Amino acid sequence: MAITADQILDVISEEVPIDRAQLNPEATLESLNIASLDMISVMFALEDKYGLIIEQNDLADAKTLGDLIAVAQAKSAAAS
Amino acid sequence: MSHRRVVVTGMGVVSALGQGLPATFAALEAAKCGLAPISRQIGDDGIHTYHGPAGVVAPLDTTALEHRLGARPLAHLDPLSAFSVVAAFEAVEQAGLVGDPVLEHRTALVWGAGSGGNQTVEESYARVFLKGATSIHPLSIPKQMISAPVSHLSMTLGVQGAAFTVASACASSGHAIGEGLWMLRAGRADVAIVGGAEAALTYGSWIGWVALKAMADDACRPFSIQRRGMVLGEGAAALVLETYEHAVARGAPILAELSGYGASSDAHHITMPHGRGAEAAIRMAHEDAGLALDHPVLISSHGTGTPLNDKIESQALQNVYGAALDQNLVIATKSSHGHLIGGAAAIELVTGIAALNAKTAPAILNSLGPDPECQVPLARETQSIGYSALVSNSFAFGGLNAVLIAKRV
Repeated sequence: MAITADQILDVISEEVPIDRAQLNPEATLESLNIASLDMISVMFALEDKYGLIIEQNDLADAKTLGDLIAVAQAKSAAAS
Repeated sequence: MSHRRVVVTGMGVVSALGQGLPATFAALEAAKCGLAPISRQIGDDGIHTYHGPAGVVAPLDTTALEHRLGARPLAHLDPLSAFSVVAAFEAVEQAGLVGDPVLEHRTALVWGAGSGGNQTVEESYARVFLKGATSIHPLSIPKQMISAPVSHLSMTLGVQGAAFTVASACASSGHAIGEGLWMLRAGRADVAIVGGAEAALTYGSWIGWVALKAMADDACRPFSIQRRGMVLGEGAAALVLETYEHAVARGAPILAELSGYGASSDAHHITMPHGRGAEAAIRMAHEDAGLALDHPVLISSHGTGTPLNDKIESQALQNVYGAALDQNLVIATKSSHGHLIGGAAAIELVTGIAALNAKTAPAILNSLGPDPECQVPLARETQSIGYSALVSNSFAFGGLNAVLIAKRV
């Protein structure tokens, strides 16, 4: 089953960690002070939890949480 | 040689007996054993399993710390660093030094650890060797390095003075505390945050200790007949050391004076202890403290519960104190919280100082009866005491010894 936006945001909230209420798809990673190292932690957690493999290159252009969710969901759909 | 007096103004601890010194010492006074059987595995192949008694730390309550620091500094810490930060904050808070400007320039951090972040190491390589992955988490190295705890202490407390890790196996935090004492005596700092930690209840560490035949499969029974070995614990303990002048000038609570430190090496064997090293360290600590060998003392023993350690430690105590040994009392709190390896010396000094101040010696647990090879005066039950001084022994694998002496003030 394809991963939902909420599931992705839950993982981000837990891994960074950051208050879940601050996470909306329009927010930029920069404005949330989410570093690239934090994103790698998120990628490892997505893989451990959902078997979803995202490479660092896939996220090269991601600026907002919405971008990230789109990449993850595209990967998830391709895998299922 | 006269040098600056050093006192203890804060103490903190995390162990299987609880989070915080009040909870820990209450458990010790009540003769509560924090050791219980565990059954764990790494991976899910059902092969890499391990079982036995251990002293496990319950999930940490970091609410107060997160309130002060936010959640991020406490995320992604190996348990080794998490235990260290929680214990050190308790000590610094008790000393009333959180946010104090002295942390910026005149404070040192000296921290003991026997090994690094075992959980991080093993989870990283389990991913590679059990799951066939070819990459590991980018924080693997920063989380597992043996100096990670001291870096996190520096960052969370804002300490900008000299900060480093001391490793000498089961005596690591003893050496860390002793060297911190000398940094203050030498005038290199006014405050030293010292102690140590271990978090090694992991598969690889466990089977390593089992392979050494050092682990008891039943219980930790220091100085008892039929003792079968040590029981691993985990956790951390911290002390804030301060020059007497600095503590008095700011009206800080003085919990004890740290008055003596003896350190020696057996030059003998990588696992077998030799009594000459232990004896030398105890004598050196007394000389350093200016405390006569016939002055009655409470002895917080190394007391691991291994057949050889307890026998050699008993002989060392007999040889050093002679007839005066009978007026002393030996405690062995590893029987309650397990062996904290790099944190062992620190937790045993902290609980020993708490015992001096509470005038109560905690019972040595799980004894099956006296061993003729361990004829030392043991605290078989929790009892009232009137000692004014504590001798705390740590004798590590590889023959590295550290003995500390604290006095009630």
